Amino acid sequence: MSIKEIIRQFKPEHHNLLNIMHALQNSNPGNYLTKEALEETASYLGLTKASVYGVATYYTMFSLEPRGRYIIRVCISPVCEIIKAETIIKHLEKVLGIKTGQTSSDRLFTLELSECLGQCHKAPSMMINDRVHNCLDKNSIEEIIEEYRQMSKSD
Amino acid sequence: MEKTVSIHIDGKKLNVQEGKNLLQAAKENNIDIPHLCYHRKLSPTGACRLCIVKINGQKGLIASCTVRAEEGMEVIAFDEELEEARRFILDYLLSEHDESSDGSYMDEFKELVVRYGLDDKKKRKYAPIWKYLGYPSDNSSPVLTYEAAKCIKCFRCIKACDEVQGKNVLSFTKRGIASYITGGFEKWGESECDGCGECIQLCPTGAIVEKPHRDQIMLHQDHKKVKTTCPYCGVGCQLELIVQNGKIVRADGVEGVSPNDGRLCVKGRFGYDYVSHPDRLKVPLIKKGGRFTEAGWDEALDLVAEKFSETIKKHGKRSLAGYASAKTTNEDNYLFMKFVRTVFGNNNVDYCTRLCHASTVTAMLRSLGDGAGSNSIEDYEKSDCILVTGNNMIETHPVTATYVKYAAQRRGARIIIIDPKWTPLVKDSHIWLQPRLGTDVALLNGMIRVIIREELIDRRFIEKRVEGGMKALEELKALTEKYTLEYVEEITGVPAEMMQEAARIYAGARRPLIATGMGYSQQLTGTHNVFCLINMMLITGQIGRKGAGLNPPRGQNNVQGVSDVGASPFTYPGYVPVGDDENRRKVAKIWNVPYRELDPEKGLSTVEIMQAAYRGEIRAMYIMGENPMLTDPNLNHTEEAIKKLDFLVVQDIFHTETTALADVVLPATSFAESEGTFVNSDRRVLRVRKAVDPPGQARQDWEIITDIAKRMGKPLGSYRDESEIWDEIARTSPIFAGISFSRLEKQGIQWPCPSKEHPGTPTLFEERFNTASGLAKLHPVDYAEQTEKADNEYPYILNTGRILYQYHSSTMSRRNVSLNQFANEAYVLMHPDDAKKQGLSNGDKVDISSRRGVIRSITVKISGEVLLGELFMPFHYSEAPVNRLTRDELDPYSKIAPFKLSAVKIVTGS
Repeated sequence: MSIKEIIRQFKPEHHNLLNIMHALQNSNPGNYLTKEALEETASYLGLTKASVYGVATYYTMFSLEPRGRYIIRVCISPVCEIIKAETIIKHLEKVLGIKTGQTSSDRLFTLELSECLGQCHKAPSMMINDRVHNCLDKNSIEEIIEEYRQMSKSD
Repeated sequence: MEKTVSIHIDGKKLNVQEGKNLLQAAKENNIDIPHLCYHRKLSPTGACRLCIVKINGQKGLIASCTVRAEEGMEVIAFDEELEEARRFILDYLLSEHDESSDGSYMDEFKELVVRYGLDDKKKRKYAPIWKYLGYPSDNSSPVLTYEAAKCIKCFRCIKACDEVQGKNVLSFTKRGIASYITGGFEKWGESECDGCGECIQLCPTGAIVEKPHRDQIMLHQDHKKVKTTCPYCGVGCQLELIVQNGKIVRADGVEGVSPNDGRLCVKGRFGYDYVSHPDRLKVPLIKKGGRFTEAGWDEALDLVAEKFSETIKKHGKRSLAGYASAKTTNEDNYLFMKFVRTVFGNNNVDYCTRLCHASTVTAMLRSLGDGAGSNSIEDYEKSDCILVTGNNMIETHPVTATYVKYAAQRRGARIIIIDPKWTPLVKDSHIWLQPRLGTDVALLNGMIRVIIREELIDRRFIEKRVEGGMKALEELKALTEKYTLEYVEEITGVPAEMMQEAARIYAGARRPLIATGMGYSQQLTGTHNVFCLINMMLITGQIGRKGAGLNPPRGQNNVQGVSDVGASPFTYPGYVPVGDDENRRKVAKIWNVPYRELDPEKGLSTVEIMQAAYRGEIRAMYIMGENPMLTDPNLNHTEEAIKKLDFLVVQDIFHTETTALADVVLPATSFAESEGTFVNSDRRVLRVRKAVDPPGQARQDWEIITDIAKRMGKPLGSYRDESEIWDEIARTSPIFAGISFSRLEKQGIQWPCPSKEHPGTPTLFEERFNTASGLAKLHPVDYAEQTEKADNEYPYILNTGRILYQYHSSTMSRRNVSLNQFANEAYVLMHPDDAKKQGLSNGDKVDISSRRGVIRSITVKISGEVLLGELFMPFHYSEAPVNRLTRDELDPYSKIAPFKLSAVKIVTGS
């Protein structure tokens, strides 16, 4: 679907702004909002560019830069922190060959941080796109990443 | 009734209005609670936390800007704890703030830093961290810069843009300490910003500062502030000019004074460059052998006097005429009018109003007895229904439009737009009726029929205030009976149910205002259009009280005033007909001239003067501050007419298309070099004050006029200054009788103001209409087809108009760097389907021709703003003189020309 078609699935009402932006971001293989997407959204809802841009940059789940196919969000809330989320992040950076906030050169993974994922009983945790992964350690991380790599090949 | 409550602040008893903002109440009682995010014009934000106070019975430190005054409130505004908290907040803010300043802006933050002793860096607890926060700056706007490192995130700019100007162009981006303001996608210059600069005026820290002349503004050095009236449109915004080294370097809106309360548009704030432009006329010029040569004042004025006298002698009194000017002051125009009547000895004096609202004024005079707006500009804010007809007010009266948008956006008022062309106000409208060009009478008659059939009329009003009462209504009913929904839809293209809805909303509103513009007036049926509007207004009783009535926003700064002071072929000062014997006797006495010398015959109007010149009946002309060679209809004809004159004097501030044809050119002063008054669209007499010296030998218009009169042996009188001229105006025109310069010191007064004690009249017709009977008159009129229609040869209908960034013939506006950066190219708007049919794309160049002439190489803009078969062009640009295409056929009542409707054809491939 084109940007316009995606937007037209929603009624032109201001409260649909977030839903429209999610739909646009999810439909983009680069997992981000393009300038064109923001402009079309603004004009469809009768908002100014800055109003839409302000919302897009406020929420960390929106990106204005191209990202990987899989967005990894490591939980850095207190419980995960106590159970050493930090080592998890470092290990992910090593396995993926990138720093937090970056996208791997094969454009498969983007490594991000997140506030509490609500999985404190199974900390440390992370999400990859819509799936939650718990009780992480170095081994399980490597397995999970490998699983996604395989998955991407079969798609 | 507003209730007063008593509160105590630091033991001081105050009586304030119940529910009043506590911080504002304190401010008004000289209790200076510090604050940064609060501004009188904005909703309270509570972001800066500096206005914290303690209130008995409430916990903690409370931001006083968020509290409403209640009976018995005991407030502590200053104690050690509060002051310490404020110092802490300021200290914290400072650490995120770049405090360097180039002195080009007012810095409220810096003032507080000094007040709390934090200019002494030793007293600060927090190290500066702003350098590490990566704050950007945005230099992309033509008129301002934004530096995030100077921003304290107070929301004032965002709210100024949203709440005051109704534009909502700005927003925060990112979050927390990393957040800052953005216009567009962090590129202000590519945002919807139209450059009004309200954000600049309300920014407390110098984060948003204007670009023009920034290197010349040194507020810590000697400078002069001069309050005056904006020289652009007829809103009459009050300006404060900052003058440094003899040059205007900045303009601000004057806060707290009507009509603009600090607001300005891009022209008012940034359009003053022209005053000091090198192109200004500086010496009198005489054409010798086809070329202008510089002359002294004596030589030039002697020649003018000699030629005018010679013309009178050779061809008689009525062979001369004058164009007065809607740009210059009342005082200049009054003496110009007096000059034509007493020195030329005829009534051939007119000006561009004839091409503007003449039809509106004519219809209003005949129906209501006064030809001026019935309400105040700020009334729009409280209206519940605003009917906008042929009026692109966001572009042509931007500050008036801010009040209209406020009503729609914040008070739920319903805006009804009648316009064949899209205008930006459509975004805020409830309903937009898009009739085909020239079909307004049918549309309004249809609406009137709906109102009568559905019994939405105001019977009491009709019986009490309309001549003939219900019998007059019967006549209107009979005439409008044939305007059935189907018939009207067929003529206008407006869907019947939309027309019905609009009629119901207007008739049922409590305080509806009509704002009617050039779209209605500049037609052959201009007067009929407005008659219909008035008919609809009268039968629904929607006039004669505060907030209800009919208002034509005037296009030029003083177009209202020039009519008021009598620069008209038909009326003397104060709208007394020239044929009124008693008035002529009275005026002759005041002017000290023999009564018999005042011509009792009506003079010729603007276009009639040109037509008479063409026929050789007018032989000499005196044109003050007008440029008919761009603004008159059917320019080719105008050009031939002017070339036939024996002698033409043009008095102006720049060379124009018209001065090029003059025999003598006289350099006059601009608004910034003049003293006097303008009258704005809501009849407010406003002071104009001199800010800078005129360039070269330029002189104020009235001084030049009196000198010519003296040389012709008919002195106009001796005036020491402009206030003496005004006093004479007040003696001749009853509507101004109570107004003097001393009363205008602080703010304007709305006429009629019959006596020195009278406060002026914000609303007209509350008790009676200004007709002989005191009653209003219905004028039922039928729809007539336009005399010029699209046909095979000329298949398009061309509409003309104005844009925000240029003004009239743009002699002033185009001499401003900022305005040109926004818009500096002529274009023609064309419907996408027409473009397809013609095989045209955006940016293509075309020639456009009509039965009268041709204009070449016009850029095509494809746009859904116009209807199929209709085109639109702005008339500002001399290289695209659209009036070569328009007609000089005239509306029989008002003598206005149909600028809004010409049949044309497109010639491609130029």
